[in-house]
Amino acid sequence: MVTTQTQLPTSISHDKSTHMNESIDHAQLSEWLKQVAELRCKVAFTHLFHFFAPKIQRISRSKFPNEAQSHEVVQETMSNVWRKAHLFDPDKGAATTWIYTVMRNVTFDLLRKIKSNREDNLSDDIWPVIEGEVSQDEAYEDHLENKQLLDVIETLPEAQKEVVKGFYLMEMSQEQLANHLNLPLGTIKSRLRLALAKLKGQLGENND
Amino acid sequence: MIKHHPKFELIQAYVNGDLPASLSMGISIHAEMCPACQQKIAQLTEQVAESSFEAQTIETESTSIGDTSSDTSFDFESMINNITLSAELDEVAKPVTKTITFKTKTYQLPKVLNRIKLGKTANVGKLSRTRLQLDEDEIHSSLLHINAGGGVPEHTHKGFELTVLLDGSFSDDKGEYVKGDFIMLDTSIKHNPISQDGCLCYTVANDALHFTQGINKLLNPIGNFIY
Ligand SMILES: [Zn+2]
Repeated sequence: MVTTQTQLPTSISHDKSTHMNESIDHAQLSEWLKQVAELRCKVAFTHLFHFFAPKIQRISRSKFPNEAQSHEVVQETMSNVWRKAHLFDPDKGAATTWIYTVMRNVTFDLLRKIKSNREDNLSDDIWPVIEGEVSQDEAYEDHLENKQLLDVIETLPEAQKEVVKGFYLMEMSQEQLANHLNLPLGTIKSRLRLALAKLKGQLGENND
Repeated sequence: MIKHHPKFELIQAYVNGDLPASLSMGISIHAEMCPACQQKIAQLTEQVAESSFEAQTIETESTSIGDTSSDTSFDFESMINNITLSAELDEVAKPVTKTITFKTKTYQLPKVLNRIKLGKTANVGKLSRTRLQLDEDEIHSSLLHINAGGGVPEHTHKGFELTVLLDGSFSDDKGEYVKGDFIMLDTSIKHNPISQDGCLCYTVANDALHFTQGINKLLNPIGNFIY
């Protein structure tokens, strides 16, 4: 008897650089999505639309035989973004990940409708809304390789904690952070400096 | 402890949305019970998202504006206006729990299956089977219950056979399988699973089983029954 049971590789090569890519301004996308959720801001939505719609259209053109269907995917995906933005949690993953899952789900349901003539929209059952949670926590931990450091960061004053987390854990640049937090670059730099001094002091004490 | 997981290619196809609903559900059911695969799925989704929206960035900036405007039926502005007219917000439906009873035992179904229509239960000996109404042509998905001491006679598959153990355990000559195990077999395999204490499985197969041993050949009609 033969078995073709195959095991997963023990780890997927996990390239950190994919977390925050230079060519995608994640902080900005996240911010727009937040503005859509909190302020129902049409300007922010328009920015998101111009970033994502052409890409979604191109991706779905490869999955559907005709243009009308790929338009439907764009229309549906972006409508869902508008109506579900409040379900996006920036602490749990990137806006690109969230919008990708919305697009993937819309595509899946439309393909199923075409193939099986079923409009049961199963995608949200198959891929529950938030998947990013586990990975994000893990990524933080192995990035820092030090649970202790995380604990110490938690003891920082709120203003410094924000900057340290953005810089080290979300790998945002100081400029992105200034933009994201709506603060002058100088403030970001000095907060980071203060926080680092405090962290060094604390970790030094603990390690003695 | 879970020992059998979906292989990487399968997880990848799942993340891409390329698998049929039945197999996608099998992976979701497994992931519900397997934090390791949950994490792999999350990481892979993040990576695929990144490359989907980034790979085209340069291309988009240089060519797409002309591209999309040549597509006259695609009017960004009116689509934006239409979408933002709506004041509706989508809420996530509160998860309902659904149970199923075989013989005297009641099981809670995995979340993924809560909204799926189930067919009537059919029984043969210690086996009970309920089909999921997914309408995927030659692919059949079922809940298969084996009563304590029952088993499926030795058989081969003409297509593939996926079994995800929802509760209980069973064993074949390769060893024991426990709750959460994701077991994907293809055509070449002959096996004869027996469940000492009973079990409930989610199964997907794309063709009938074929029984191979002596008197069991008479059972070939129930191959269609099980999967
Ligand atoms: Zn697993």
